[in-house]
Amino acid sequence: MNANDAPANARASDGYFLRAENITKVYSDGTVGLREATLEIHPREIVGLLGENGAGKTTLTKILSGLLPPTSGRVTSPKGVVRFASPREALDFGIGMVHQHFALVGTFTATENVALSHERPFSRLRLDQARERLKGLMKESGLHVPLDVPVEKLAVGEQQRVEILKVLSRNVQLLILDEPTSVLTPLEVDELFLLLRRLRDGGTSIILITHKLKEVQSVTDRIVVLRHAELVGDVKTSTATTERLAQLMVGKAIEGESTAVELSAEQLPRTGARSKTGSSGESILHVADLVAKGNTGDVAVDGLSFNVHAGEIFGIAGVEGNGQSELVESLTGLRRVVSGIATIKGIDILGKDPREIYRLGVAHIPEDRWKLGLVLPFTLAENAILGVHRWKEFRGPFSFLRWGKINRHVRELMDRFEIQATGPNAPAKSLSGGNQQKLIVGRELAKNPAIVVASQPTRGLDIGAAKYIRDLLVEMRNNGRAILLVSADLDEVLALADRLAIMYEGRFMTECAPTDLNRQQIGMLMGGVAYKEVA
Amino acid sequence: MSEQERTTQSRLLRGVHRTVTGLHPALESMLAALIGLLIGAALMYMWGFNPWKAYWALLRGAYGGSYEWASTLARATPLILTALTFSVCIRAGMFNIGAEGQMLMGAMAAVCVALFKMPPGIHLIVGLLFALIAGAAWSIVPAVLKITRGVSEVISTIMFNWIARWLALYIAIFILVDPSRAEKTLTVPVTARFPILVRGTDFSYSFFLAIFVALVLYFVLWHTTMGYEVRAAGLNPTAARYGGIRNKRTMIVGFLLGGVAAGLAGATVVMGMPPSYAAFGGGAFPELTNIGFDGMAVAMVGRNHPIGIIVASVLFGGLNAGGRVMQFYGSNPVPLEMVRIVMGAIVLAMSIPELIRLFPAIKDQGERLIAALRRHGRPASKEGSA
Amino acid sequence: MNWIDLVSLLRIALHAMVPITLTAVGEIVGETAGLFNIGLEGILLISAFAGALGAEAGGPVVGLLVGMGVGAAIGLVFAVINTYWKGTQMITGIGINLFAMGLVAFGLIQLGAPGFHAVPRAAQVIKWKTAMGAMSPIILIALVMPFLIHWFIKRTRAGLILKAAGEMPEAADVAGINVNKVRLLAATFGAALAGLGGAYMSIAWIGSVTKDLSAGRGFIALATVVFSGLNPLLALLGGFIFGFFQGLAEWVKTLPSKPIPSQFVSMLPYIVTLLVVSGAIGRVRFPKALGEPYKRE
Repeated sequence: MNANDAPANARASDGYFLRAENITKVYSDGTVGLREATLEIHPREIVGLLGENGAGKTTLTKILSGLLPPTSGRVTSPKGVVRFASPREALDFGIGMVHQHFALVGTFTATENVALSHERPFSRLRLDQARERLKGLMKESGLHVPLDVPVEKLAVGEQQRVEILKVLSRNVQLLILDEPTSVLTPLEVDELFLLLRRLRDGGTSIILITHKLKEVQSVTDRIVVLRHAELVGDVKTSTATTERLAQLMVGKAIEGESTAVELSAEQLPRTGARSKTGSSGESILHVADLVAKGNTGDVAVDGLSFNVHAGEIFGIAGVEGNGQSELVESLTGLRRVVSGIATIKGIDILGKDPREIYRLGVAHIPEDRWKLGLVLPFTLAENAILGVHRWKEFRGPFSFLRWGKINRHVRELMDRFEIQATGPNAPAKSLSGGNQQKLIVGRELAKNPAIVVASQPTRGLDIGAAKYIRDLLVEMRNNGRAILLVSADLDEVLALADRLAIMYEGRFMTECAPTDLNRQQIGMLMGGVAYKEVA
Repeated sequence: MSEQERTTQSRLLRGVHRTVTGLHPALESMLAALIGLLIGAALMYMWGFNPWKAYWALLRGAYGGSYEWASTLARATPLILTALTFSVCIRAGMFNIGAEGQMLMGAMAAVCVALFKMPPGIHLIVGLLFALIAGAAWSIVPAVLKITRGVSEVISTIMFNWIARWLALYIAIFILVDPSRAEKTLTVPVTARFPILVRGTDFSYSFFLAIFVALVLYFVLWHTTMGYEVRAAGLNPTAARYGGIRNKRTMIVGFLLGGVAAGLAGATVVMGMPPSYAAFGGGAFPELTNIGFDGMAVAMVGRNHPIGIIVASVLFGGLNAGGRVMQFYGSNPVPLEMVRIVMGAIVLAMSIPELIRLFPAIKDQGERLIAALRRHGRPASKEGSA
Repeated sequence: MNWIDLVSLLRIALHAMVPITLTAVGEIVGETAGLFNIGLEGILLISAFAGALGAEAGGPVVGLLVGMGVGAAIGLVFAVINTYWKGTQMITGIGINLFAMGLVAFGLIQLGAPGFHAVPRAAQVIKWKTAMGAMSPIILIALVMPFLIHWFIKRTRAGLILKAAGEMPEAADVAGINVNKVRLLAATFGAALAGLGGAYMSIAWIGSVTKDLSAGRGFIALATVVFSGLNPLLALLGGFIFGFFQGLAEWVKTLPSKPIPSQFVSMLPYIVTLLVVSGAIGRVRFPKALGEPYKRE
């Protein structure tokens, strides 16, 4: 930290609400979550907590909100040392947290969820009183949600509002929000930020956890940067530049090709990322009028039609939850469709088994590597053959697995993709997220596919691993493969795609090249505004 | 060391840490066995028995000499098989509590060899075939119910246990009954019996059948594509689907294999146990009862691995064999049922994960070891191209 | 079948319903909070035995209380292992069953009569003389309990807490609820009800203790819980259905000409349970966190 990064809270005369002193957290398996972090929070300010995945942001806030005890260090307020043995105590003190994965009981209504934190155990449930209180709160805050619907049936944005209302109903003085915008459309993000500013002006302190540079610069007063479990920067937002913030986040100067993709698409270098020819080769994937239903029975994919050609990256951008997952599942044999056509090089793939689809030349990098892409207790070798375990090269007479060949194959993968592990027999769960993803990509590439369906391929990865994966996708494209990239990271899509579509509620709002629209237009399209109003 | 190198190293060390304390599956089983025996000792003491004398008799009766070993291994034989039933299904992601019923059906099917003549050896094999088909048939229905109607296999297999008990009783009393002695079934003819290995004991070649089945199942699960699919589906059905595995098929395969093992267990009893080589409907099958449930305990202590199961069965077989000696030993002998109490206590102890964590002293030792490793740890090789 | 037979059938059905319904309702409380106890069979067995001993020592009421107490104690052990110690619920349950089988068999031998022990008249719960014949008052408890529990879960805040702990323990934790404590209380209470059911069997109904007195009733209760979809009123219905078929089985046994061998008749309750469960699945939804220990990190 140099002079420019010195704590911006020198105005200590304002008084502070909370101070974390030398907080260290070591988890039970030895990982260091946080190392000697010191931070002060003042009333009437919005602090952005910036850092990559795994930098320690969630750890710090969990400690502040009472969900985790620190290994050493303490939290103090002007009244003295504070100790939170449970989230309830933190809440009583005035600290409330809105989690990334909402702490809501799905089968309960919004009223019931809020009532959960209020009344005494053996009292009669006074849901009517709770409703009245909640209605008043909704009016005050400007947040509106249906009160009597089971929360799991609400849209994600609405669920988040319930979560926020739940916390607000306890009159918090410090509101912590963990990556709140990842599930919101750009319009909803604006509304949220309006609310945050209003709360701040009313005296509340707010901590906003995010990994998005643009966001943190737009709404915060102060930015605190975490990197590899250490607090490396505490700057006033007005004086911080994007480059400086990115540098603090990643740890070294950024130039040229190795730019962090959190920077906006305008700032990314163009060379090399675009395909040289205008349009590319033959159509590999052809989709026409595809309709598919989601798990709730509602239509999730609403009549999509598009093509993906060899030697191009076709990106589908959009906030998660608009049918992207269902689309990918329909194309990879994991979901039955209602109607429509989808073919790979002319051969129908709908309703087929994943194995058959892989044989046709499709590779699938799934969006959830733990649930879908890997069997975590299995070894690397066992995971490396998932999906191809019946192929002739790995399977001998009597269906015996050729472990010798498989192990050789895995070692090759480890070499080629620089996968860090103790060997082919290491359990997959011992690998870092980046290495796990590399294993999956390596496995999929080994199929020599005609098309790669990559769904949220860099989610949860640190910048190094994310860049590696993105470079791989570009390389695959340059080698003539077709890539279908589905990503909620708009910058990623804008940087990598040759053509893109914006998906909203199961439909494409538009299909275009990345340079055709500006960011604001894209934001509106992502939020559901019709194309003709935007263009 | 740079930051990245530091985090990589800590991650690799965690891997090592896991291998070191991940001797600890076996350690955990031993610890649980010890705790079970201690609880048994405490209860014995409470009820006025002498635990040391009892355990001494138990030990001698189980492992004291070659005859005792023979008796132990004879008791272990059916346990290996019913343990495999439970374990194979666990690996497939399901709880098959139905070994008891599947075994009974297998036993009844095996007795059927008494209805016709055949040359020696072949007669035995035919009996085994009948038994494994019966066991498989009995386990197929719960599997199908689970697949088509989502019925919990825990409940369905247990219901089938009780149905099997009554059905087997009916068969034993009315259909396959021995005309001269109504309380037992027909005797399995000499041509269909397992030859005795140690004269004067009930230790027969059925033991090797059990070992053989264990090895076969080991190979199937870890060295064939079908076994791979079964294990994958058991650990992560969603990823298995992604990998093109049909989970319904793996469930059926798991249950079939389990039923086969249980059916064979029943066969080893009626075709391998002198002097009667029959099932006793009159007493509700004392020679067959509880083999299914004890097998589950063996499976858990053996950590659902064929090798572990064989080792654990020697322990549980020993408990049973030794118990028979213990119940006659001394002036105030401990009844045989104490053995089942000990078994239950062992399983209870097994259900607590990472027992070692509960014992601070052992935990300290473990931590000191890790720290030592850390000091001698080598820096990690280069990280990716970041 | 004539009028007398029908009444007799009803009487048997009501009596047979009690252990099933009590155990099922107790397990509903536990499962709503997220704990799945397949050791109910063992609890029934042990509390039947303990209840008999208690009744012989201090009278029928003491017997019932001892049965409940023993049930609660086992439930407590189960709960501690599976909440604070993060155990595996299925295995603990199986362990309890094995342990119970051994303990009761052992205990019966200690009492001098291996396999069977008759409870003296004086220790038994007195049956009331009603129009339908001699009926045990515990039946009333079994009839009322489901309604009580149903009201409790639906209409008190404690019921809300219970559901939250089973459905989404993270949310409950954030709301300040001690998830482990809630689960502990729920499982202990549920096991206490099962204990009452067990003691009822030995001292208020059958009048004796045998090695396999429970005869799979613990598992039938589990099946009833599935059938009920965690609704105590449906558990009452389920218990009655089972009781009815048990009564039917008894009645068939008393017929002068035996149309069906007794073994097949004895199979009836289990077959019926199987059919009921197979038919009921599909519309049932269980708490999302059922069977998973809750970890805060």
